[in-house]
Amino acid sequence: MREALLGWQFSGVYLVYAAIFWGYPFVWLLILAFSRWRFFGKPKPIGFDNFVRLFQDPIFWRIFWNTMNFMAYFIPMVVLGAFLFALALSKVKYFRTFFTLSFLVANVSSGVAYSILFSNLFSETGPVNSFLYKTFGVTIPWFSDPQLALLSIAIIVTWKFIGYYGLILFAGMQAIPKSLYEAAELDGASKWTQFWRITVPLVNPALTTVLVFAINLTFGIFTEPYMITGGGPMRRTLTFLLHIYTTAFQRMNPSYAATLAIVTGALSYGCVILVRKLVEREVHLT
Amino acid sequence: MKTRKKIKVGTILLYIIMFILSLIWIYPYVWLFLASVKPSEEIFTRFLPTQLTLEHYRFIFETATRMERPFVRALLNSIFIAFTITFSVVFTSAFIGYGLSKLRYRGRNAVFNFIIFQMLFPGFMFVVPLFVLIRTLGLLNTYSAVILPSLISAWGVFMFAQAYKAIPQDYIEAAKMDGASTFWIILRVMLPLTRSTASIVGLFTFIGAWDNFMWPLIVMKDYYKMPLAVLLASFNHEYGSYVGPLMAGAVIQTIPMVFIFLAFRKYFLQGISMSLK
Repeated sequence: MREALLGWQFSGVYLVYAAIFWGYPFVWLLILAFSRWRFFGKPKPIGFDNFVRLFQDPIFWRIFWNTMNFMAYFIPMVVLGAFLFALALSKVKYFRTFFTLSFLVANVSSGVAYSILFSNLFSETGPVNSFLYKTFGVTIPWFSDPQLALLSIAIIVTWKFIGYYGLILFAGMQAIPKSLYEAAELDGASKWTQFWRITVPLVNPALTTVLVFAINLTFGIFTEPYMITGGGPMRRTLTFLLHIYTTAFQRMNPSYAATLAIVTGALSYGCVILVRKLVEREVHLT
Repeated sequence: MKTRKKIKVGTILLYIIMFILSLIWIYPYVWLFLASVKPSEEIFTRFLPTQLTLEHYRFIFETATRMERPFVRALLNSIFIAFTITFSVVFTSAFIGYGLSKLRYRGRNAVFNFIIFQMLFPGFMFVVPLFVLIRTLGLLNTYSAVILPSLISAWGVFMFAQAYKAIPQDYIEAAKMDGASTFWIILRVMLPLTRSTASIVGLFTFIGAWDNFMWPLIVMKDYYKMPLAVLLASFNHEYGSYVGPLMAGAVIQTIPMVFIFLAFRKYFLQGISMSLK
């Protein structure tokens, strides 16, 4: 009895806090998405009008394709890179800590600081372009060309996350029992066969985790385009979060922003489900 | 003999590639640091400075303050905000997690499932309505606006609840026999036994709070209460051509995260392999 009372005291604190900072906003999110409101007065209910408007909004579709485009650059780059990094890490015996830390320290860079850093590093007169000019006689407009800007952001995000994702895959590879490889060796399987028949299938849970992380990251990207490109050139680096931010706090249209937030959440959830369906396999380690 | 030699060449090549890649990955940090200590005219022209200077740091800490951009203040704000959030999250998670894994009562599983349900929703969905709440409470432009929404973390509670499940009930019974209160049990028995979980929760919470940008950008318009990330971003916006001072600011923003990462790297790695379970 005393135990139950104490338990409810702990849970109660949590539930009260969650009701204020999670439940209340949750209800407001739903109210806003179905009304018209500009921060003052009472929200005016308008049914599904916001959603209808959203799906006819060319900016929404621009952002949608930007996001797909970003994933097409970012996910193959970061997954392949992380995979190679994890493989290399499991092959080396010495300096493993050094390699791990050099790749991982990129991950603890602050979003604002590394955006400032890279916008200067890749600027027209920056060291990367002056190096390219000296060796190849060309400069690349990393952040000012409409098509390149998105790729450049994908590259710097890859720089940040390759070590982190690589270590998740590495942990997955370490969990594979060595005896499997020894048995395969005895059966005369080549290294190549071992890689495709043992490593790739058994690292599946780690690979799924990485893919889910990468998708969530893509839909939540804000700091880099805000700091470096401001969504331009030609809206090619506009992201969902950047648009939610400007819609709610600069164009003063919070109800439309709430609608956008719900659709963004649903899209990212849908992508995660899709990838799980396509990639995830049951793994039995006996 | 022949194959062994082949393997050796391959291994050496692998080491060389890994060293080069590691250096490329660290290069941006090195360039950032050097840019913050070399004279302005050398930032884009030379890699190694001809002379070291602290003028950019002096600018960011002294001159910028006179331009209404108080960086010393911002650094202290960031430290205050990040430490408050981290302490609060670790302690509330340790207590609530105990309630959800070691105390038995009706409705416990429902609360636990609710926490998991909450974690399904990405934080960005709540930005707009949370702003409405903070505005209604009259907390815009206060430290509370940044701190209150992060005081308790569903993820932290979940992590502690999972870690406690591995601790045998006997430990708690033994402590109770000795007349220990629940608070004493949590602080003196449970927390020390789950030190790595506490470190992981603390580390990731601290990094998240220090690096949080979008939320303080929305609720903090007062230059004197801004965390460093937001003040640095606004300085970059308005004085983008002051490259040297900007680099010095970026170094100051980065250093605490890198040091804490290096000090707690063991737990960072544990946290990574935990994300698989």
